Amino acid sequence: MSDLALPTPNPGPAAGVGDAASAPRQRRRSLPFGVALAAGWIVLMLVVAFGADWLRPYGITALDLRARLLPPVGFGGSIHHLLGTDELGRDVLSRLIVSIRISLLIAFCATLIAAVLGTTLGFLAAHFRGLIEQAVLMLIDFQASMPFLILALAVLAFFGNSLTLFVCLMGLYGWERHARIARGLAIAANAQGYAAAVRQLGASPLRVYLRHVLPNIASTLIVSATLSFPEIVLLESGLSFLGLGVQPPMTSLGNMVGYGREYLTRAPWILLAPSTTVVLTTLAVSMLGDWLRDRLDPTLG
Amino acid sequence: MTRFLALRFSRALLSILLVVTFAFVVLRLSGDPALTIMSPEAPPEAIAAFRKAWGLDQPIWVQYLRYFGAIAHGELGVSMRDGRPALALVAERIPATLMITIPALMLKIALGIPAGITAALHRNTLRDRLLMAGAVAGFTVPSFVLGLVLVLVFAVRLGWLPSGGDERWTSAVLPVLTLGLGGAGILARFTRSAMLEVLGQPYIRTASAKGVPWRLVVRHHALPNAAIPTVTIVGFMVGSLIAGAVVVESVFSWPGVGRLLVVAVANRDLAVVQCILLLVSATMVTANLIVDLLYGALDPRLRVGTAAAH
Repeated sequence: MSDLALPTPNPGPAAGVGDAASAPRQRRRSLPFGVALAAGWIVLMLVVAFGADWLRPYGITALDLRARLLPPVGFGGSIHHLLGTDELGRDVLSRLIVSIRISLLIAFCATLIAAVLGTTLGFLAAHFRGLIEQAVLMLIDFQASMPFLILALAVLAFFGNSLTLFVCLMGLYGWERHARIARGLAIAANAQGYAAAVRQLGASPLRVYLRHVLPNIASTLIVSATLSFPEIVLLESGLSFLGLGVQPPMTSLGNMVGYGREYLTRAPWILLAPSTTVVLTTLAVSMLGDWLRDRLDPTLG
Repeated sequence: MTRFLALRFSRALLSILLVVTFAFVVLRLSGDPALTIMSPEAPPEAIAAFRKAWGLDQPIWVQYLRYFGAIAHGELGVSMRDGRPALALVAERIPATLMITIPALMLKIALGIPAGITAALHRNTLRDRLLMAGAVAGFTVPSFVLGLVLVLVFAVRLGWLPSGGDERWTSAVLPVLTLGLGGAGILARFTRSAMLEVLGQPYIRTASAKGVPWRLVVRHHALPNAAIPTVTIVGFMVGSLIAGAVVVESVFSWPGVGRLLVVAVANRDLAVVQCILLLVSATMVTANLIVDLLYGALDPRLRVGTAAAH
């Protein structure tokens, strides 16, 4: 059933309804080929991100003015610069490796922030109900109805740019989905015996939510975070492409595409290498996320 | 229905209120305007006079109310770059943006919805997989990558179309394609899942079982019900007509609102950014409201008002 390999839409309420019937049969099957490939790519990216300092052949600011705009190997380039060089003779492969690390790091931190923030607000809404719940729901509606890019740009305009601010800003992306899910699941969990039982035993609300409710709904939250990770990668690279995200001398995937654009005709490899990486990474993570969702929680829309 | 509408209207107003508050808070948090505009070495009397002149010596809630009053009168400040009113500056860019976003929206609908319906009706066949693979590619490829690849192919290698600017009508082709293809992917996935959800419902089985031809089951039972979630996402796309092309306009140096926003953000031209923010939220809220009204037309249950609290 390679249907599992094809991502089904994440926003709709529908996904996986029909899949539920055939799920037990699929559950026994091993990893679909496409998902295995996606997982392999993600592992490769993680290795690159963690080992960036050992893997990169040159420094990202090391200039080699005699080897400017050198094409990649196989297109007339030399073995010393596998993916060619840019207009200042900087090694594209080295910059790509460091960019992967920075882009993934930002996306990972942002996903984590969004998940923690969303889950906390969702739990607060589920615990206190009443006015607090209404306030959280209003914020959720507001966030869901505004284009995030515009809000992000406004904040960047007002506060200027720093890496910390940028990561926190990206961390606001998608919190409303996590909050919605956490609230719904926590309300459901509260109605179940186990939460009531530990509460009767005198556990504090914090303990009930963190030690008992959270582990029970974690798989759904992890899937939802996996699904928003590629969107954050796209958002970060989009903003960096516009020159409003990660600032030089630091580099990120979107940043590389942004300046590579000026050499589109003479040196398309500067831009194609990071572009391909962004596309493959977002594709791989969303395939994995969809597969996880179908496997762990077909009810998650 | 009146209750439903009243609820939606108050929610729309609340959203606008939130955006204005957001702009006000962010504006105040980003620094003391008196110190930003006058140099820190300015004599204290001059700063005090400036604060008095702009009402900055008032309590914060008075400032907040005044801010509301000014916005209600359409006073959205003056661009720091060229001294013209921000609203006029933004307004003159809107036609250019609509020139690419409206055809792109039509392209999204024309490609995405039929593709989603076809995929759902032929679920798990080769056709479904190919269509969905295309849809996934459509939205995992970021718009700037798609745009630049299109430029590389059609402008640089083939030389058929211009790579940017807005001199000829052909300049709009690549931006429209870039916007349309990505959005079509999203819409196709959405439509497919909405259709699958509906096709799994008991009333479809009932209609088939009583002998209604499949074509009519799809047309009269499945499509109208699948339209409801699809309208939501199309509504979101309509709402982002004005500012949905930020990245694409930058790729193609298209002189629209998005390009203005990027330049304004880079120069920290706060009046212009704030004006665009308010304009976008007003459009978004209006589009959501229209979607809610359409729900009433599409879903008779909402007209009765019993299903308003789903």
